[in-house]
Amino acid sequence: MSLRSMLAQAAVIGVNEARAKIFGHVLNPTGQRSAHKILRKKFIGEKVASWYPDNIHKEDPLVVARKEQERLSKLEMLKRRGKGPPKKGQGKRAAKRSK
Amino acid sequence: MSDKRNIQDQKRRLLGEKYELRRKLYKAFSKDTDLPNDVREKHRCKLADLPRNSSFTRVTNRCVFTGRARSVYQMFRVSRIVFRDLASRGLLHGVKKASW
Repeated sequence: MSLRSMLAQAAVIGVNEARAKIFGHVLNPTGQRSAHKILRKKFIGEKVASWYPDNIHKEDPLVVARKEQERLSKLEMLKRRGKGPPKKGQGKRAAKRSK
Repeated sequence: MSDKRNIQDQKRRLLGEKYELRRKLYKAFSKDTDLPNDVREKHRCKLADLPRNSSFTRVTNRCVFTGRARSVYQMFRVSRIVFRDLASRGLLHGVKKASW
């Protein structure tokens, strides 16, 4: 009985080793801690980095040009009224610091 | 305000992708029991030197529309509120109200 079980065990171990040799598997019959567990996982970086879709408003040249036009025209309007940004060194904080 | 968080999250995602390979390598080396202890320690130090934002645990799946961090479905990348809104308008393909 015991002899038969020993033979069966040996056969199973042999088959496992042969299979690993053919297909390139990593064997760990004793179940020790191995770095293979970390190395066998696939990479997720690309999938993670593509979560947020591209902002179409920032890519389309027409939309970008239109927005820029609007910004410049708004600046023009403010300057005409006299409400545009002051020259360098004339603002409130700069005047206080220079005084 | 939600956009700021989304930008930070996107930065973390890009960093994570960039350092992923190195991170895995160092971690694997430092956990291998067959290597001598000083090699393992050296790799552990290297792993600790990597920027913190390159870890995938720091990445959260935010809603793409509102930037909500909680109750965001991975399949649609939107939070539950936006999902309900879109699905009611019929903009989500194949989604309809369940009744059985």
